[in-house]
Amino acid sequence: MTDFFLAWLTVLPGYVLPLLLASLGVVLSERAGVLNLCPEGFMAVGAMTGALICLAGQGPWLGVLGGTAAGLGLSAVFGLAVVVFRVEQTLAGLATVALGLGITGVLGRSHVQKPFDGVPRLSETSWGAELPRVLGQQTLMLPLALLLLLLVAWFLTRSAAGLRLRAVGEDPGAADVAGVDVQIVQLGAVLTSGAFGGLAGAYLSVASAHVWVEGMVAGRGWVVIALVIFARWRPLRCLAAALLFGGTEALMPRLQALGVDFPVYLGAMLPYVLTLAVLALTSTRRGARSGAPAALGLSYLRQDKH
Amino acid sequence: MLDGALLVRRQRVPLRLSAASYFGGLLFGLALAALILVQLGVPTAALWQEFVVQTFLTSQGLGQTVTAMIPLVLVGLGTALALRVQFWNIGIEGQLWLGAMAATWVSILDLGPEPLRLPLILALSMLAGALWIALPLALKLLWDVSEVISTLLLGSIAFFWVQHQLFGAWRDGKTGFPTSPTLDAAERLPLLGWGQVHAGLWLALAAVLLAAMVIGVTRLGFYARAVGANRRAARAAGLPVLMTVAVFVLGSGALCGLAGAVIVTGTEFRLSQSIGAGYLFSGIIIAYLARSNPLAVLVVSFLLGGLYTAGGVLKVFYGISEAMVLLVQGVVLLSVLCAQLFADYRVVARRPA
Repeated sequence: MTDFFLAWLTVLPGYVLPLLLASLGVVLSERAGVLNLCPEGFMAVGAMTGALICLAGQGPWLGVLGGTAAGLGLSAVFGLAVVVFRVEQTLAGLATVALGLGITGVLGRSHVQKPFDGVPRLSETSWGAELPRVLGQQTLMLPLALLLLLLVAWFLTRSAAGLRLRAVGEDPGAADVAGVDVQIVQLGAVLTSGAFGGLAGAYLSVASAHVWVEGMVAGRGWVVIALVIFARWRPLRCLAAALLFGGTEALMPRLQALGVDFPVYLGAMLPYVLTLAVLALTSTRRGARSGAPAALGLSYLRQDKH
Repeated sequence: MLDGALLVRRQRVPLRLSAASYFGGLLFGLALAALILVQLGVPTAALWQEFVVQTFLTSQGLGQTVTAMIPLVLVGLGTALALRVQFWNIGIEGQLWLGAMAATWVSILDLGPEPLRLPLILALSMLAGALWIALPLALKLLWDVSEVISTLLLGSIAFFWVQHQLFGAWRDGKTGFPTSPTLDAAERLPLLGWGQVHAGLWLALAAVLLAAMVIGVTRLGFYARAVGANRRAARAAGLPVLMTVAVFVLGSGALCGLAGAVIVTGTEFRLSQSIGAGYLFSGIIIAYLARSNPLAVLVVSFLLGGLYTAGGVLKVFYGISEAMVLLVQGVVLLSVLCAQLFADYRVVARRPA
């Protein structure tokens, strides 16, 4: 039992961290009032760009950086549409995902299924060879992700800029009167969410799979949006939500390794069913939108008030 | 800082302005898409040939385009119906999978006498699609759970279910591939004798007519307009809001389920993992570009069918991935969405202070 638990714990970060990173981005964007359905697209371009850079022999860390930049680039398109052109945010988000999936399919076509050297595990570094297996199998992405989690939590609740960001998401009119540039804050939040999504995608290919295949994000981006809802837009609760989904997902291959016989695809379905069930159950008691920023999904224009 | 120009919301948007921004956005998006394709290595001269001549002006190409159009009409119409009552059906692919599975299930079990097989398939696929959307609908009405999320998640769940069946009980014993056994002749939609065009065309046209009638001339359509414009006002006026939303949303699921059955019985003749891919974004873009108008859905689906045909050709001759179709749809949709700004607002240059 202990062995099983340790084995599960060892593979856990690979499932949890991409979800956590992408959901942190969504939290930032949505706390600034911008409904963000884009993570599926951000993660797709992040995963592909990271893999392409690694395949070009530029090294895994440049790959991670490149993936992050790719997510940022795609989010600039989304930001331009929703913040400057005031496009309906649900539609703009879906169009952005189509764009991201389309770009990766077209550009990545000739790079499918080519393995490369990704981010090294700690046990493969010169100083980490002695670490116990649970830690040795991890990469430096684990402390990086946890650091980013704390940073986002601190930023939102303890910093002046975070206060301004939340004010924009709750009441952009009031924030505007108080001297906050609503458009700049929203654009900044969207760009950051793109960077987080790209980083999450790069994690999938560069730190986890060490290969790129089309469609490797496989709906995780959609799950992220659900996780943020039942994390009630709080960064630390995103970790709990990501653990619930990622933990269930990580359980399946471990159970198979034990020889437990269950249908593979029904097992893969389970985390999604669980997410939906938790979403529904938490909504029965407190209402689905509780904790949601008051101005989520609304375009703000100062002149509109008159 | 971003408000270098002052935007003033127009009280009333003139039709010509609305049309100008719509077609301006469409043209800009198409031009951008063409530019991308040229960058990808398609010769400029070939664009006209592949996207217009080979897809709309030759009998063979037109046949392909019409065949591709049939399921697009159904999913586009499905999305449009739900949007009419402010319900985001983003689980189109899930309902489509359920419809396709219902069709395959009837075929494998050989349910019912042969002459009734096809009608049974079509009816059950619609029922399956409607049931698959009933859960998000109930969650939304009872506890205000966002249908965007629940329909999306159910889409993923449906796909895993399809894979479970294809890698398990329904796997074709003859080939060993993860596809269901091919359908019997009695279970296929008859071909109309023009390329691969099949009788699903009549189903799609009938669905368009029925939807246009319901929306245009019935009481229900009037209720839907009121609910779509302002749900609370509709309720305050004593309209049957719940019933209207339920009929439109369940109808949306049923149409998407029917699309799944039409793909299985009309073109593919078996269930495989790839038949439902891409319909999510197509449904959304059709419904938006058609402004949820059934007759316009037909037109947009026809044009998008052409894009699908051209996508197949580009894949064979220029080695460009089918994801190109998705890319073009994303570019065009974003462009049209952004252009809407110029119709909704008057852009006034701000005088230097």
